[in-house]
Amino acid sequence: MRSRRFGGIAAGTLVAGAVLWSFATSDLEVSRMMSAGPRVAEFLGRMFPPDPTVMDEIVKGSAETLRIAILGSLGAVILSVPLGILASETMVSPVLYRPVRTLLAFIRAVPLILVAMLMVGAVGLGPLPGIIAIAFHATGMLAKFYAEAIDGVARRPVAALESAGAGPLARLRHAIWPQMAPVVARDTIFRFELNLRESLILGIVGAGGIGFYIQTYVRSFQYDKAASVTLAVIVMVVAIEAINVALRRRFA
Amino acid sequence: MTTAVEIDDLSFAYPGADRPALERVSLMVPAGESVALLGASGAGKTTLLALLDGRLLAWRGRASVLGAPIDPDHPPSRDRRADSGFIFQEFALVERSTVLRNVLNGRLGRMPPLRAVLGAPTPSDLEVARAALDDCGISDLADRRVDSLSGGQRQRVAIARCLAQEPRLILADEPVSNLDPARAAEILTLLTGVAGARGATVLFSSHQPDLARRFAQRIVGMRGGRIVFDVPVAELNEDATADLYRDGVSVSDVGLRAVT
Ligand SMILES: Nc1ncnc2c1ncn2[C@@H]1O[C@H](COP(=O)(O)OP(=O)(O)O)[C@@H](O)[C@H]1O
Ligand SMILES: [Mg+2]
Repeated sequence: MRSRRFGGIAAGTLVAGAVLWSFATSDLEVSRMMSAGPRVAEFLGRMFPPDPTVMDEIVKGSAETLRIAILGSLGAVILSVPLGILASETMVSPVLYRPVRTLLAFIRAVPLILVAMLMVGAVGLGPLPGIIAIAFHATGMLAKFYAEAIDGVARRPVAALESAGAGPLARLRHAIWPQMAPVVARDTIFRFELNLRESLILGIVGAGGIGFYIQTYVRSFQYDKAASVTLAVIVMVVAIEAINVALRRRFA
Repeated sequence: MTTAVEIDDLSFAYPGADRPALERVSLMVPAGESVALLGASGAGKTTLLALLDGRLLAWRGRASVLGAPIDPDHPPSRDRRADSGFIFQEFALVERSTVLRNVLNGRLGRMPPLRAVLGAPTPSDLEVARAALDDCGISDLADRRVDSLSGGQRQRVAIARCLAQEPRLILADEPVSNLDPARAAEILTLLTGVAGARGATVLFSSHQPDLARRFAQRIVGMRGGRIVFDVPVAELNEDATADLYRDGVSVSDVGLRAVT
């Protein structure tokens, strides 16, 4: 009991300390804080009405975002097939799948935007760093899903084909793959949808796509144009979500 | 070849198990006979059948299947695996594939490796598969997906897959214990019938004495990893049968030895 109460006091002190430290060291002037509300309101006001003349940029940017998502997803699938097999408990020994799984967990832990920034530094502005970043980041999840799809296969039909004289590749093709295919299709579509959604903002760090225009217009104080592009992004996110819900119903 | 299965002094323990699953088993099954392995759960029936199917290694003793010794250190060749067919209690079908595709899977061991991977059957493969479907009375189900079938229909598909292999020996592990009694008799009638018509030997396991008596010519009683009797159906002894299902191995061991 006593130790529990002590734990509560310690946690409370820690939280209070963290909040005070953040206030004290963030250089927040009271006057600036007070005026933040009206300033944000004024800023939003300058976004209205959104400028509809940027339709061309929106179409061009969206098309590029779509291309980044498609090619990034393709890259992730190509990387995830071998890595998924290497991360599978039923295909390889623990000496192999344990380090591969750790590697995948590490990849998942790196935020996409960070990978994109590093890739812009490495290969320059444009869609290429975005594609590489998406392919890398998505592989962390997709290869794990593929490994789980392999491990989720019923073993008895595989044993039955082995008993009938089928070799390893024939077993993979006729007993393992038919069981895996729907899971792989569902996971790949799910990951593509995430890739599309995440690639909308990649342009903000210069990695191509529609986000590039938001960054450009904000920097050049063309807030009405930035507003149009932002609205377009929101519409697309909602549309992707709706398609996702419909697809999920099909796979259920 | 007059002997389908010949086992001499065979023992096997699963890795890490404290007692052997098979202990000094000897058995002879002449070609063309239908033999039942009878025993309670845990008697070693599945283990013995899997071993004859070449799926267990590191056993001791001697065993021959279809006239050729099997090797306790290496899995059998594709040809030899195709020569003996296995029917599983749980059907072991690819649920999302069609009935015809599952039956054609039985041909995989008879195809050249590349054709097997591509899964491109020749006209003669299709002919064998169609004949197997016909023999099992499921020609009209050929294009249905297995996951839409009943248990009895599934076991017919599994038998058809096994027949498509054109095996000379059929090993069947509790082929009917997932089915209701009427369906069970139906399926065993089918299995022993089609095997008999093709001159194939059948070794099936069961924990139900009445089914063993009805569908086998000879009955092999197993208990605790040992064979405790091996008799023609006419000589099956009620007491010996009852002993297979009694608890406590050590006490009855003596009595059971007396029976054999
Ligand atoms: N994969 C396995 N690993 C370890 N022990 C096993 C395994 N399969 C079966 N056994 C044991 O071997 C013995 C024989 O089992 P089994 O051959 O399945 O008997 P039956 O088919 O007659 O029910 C049992 O004691 C069982 O617990
Ligand atoms: Mg069993």
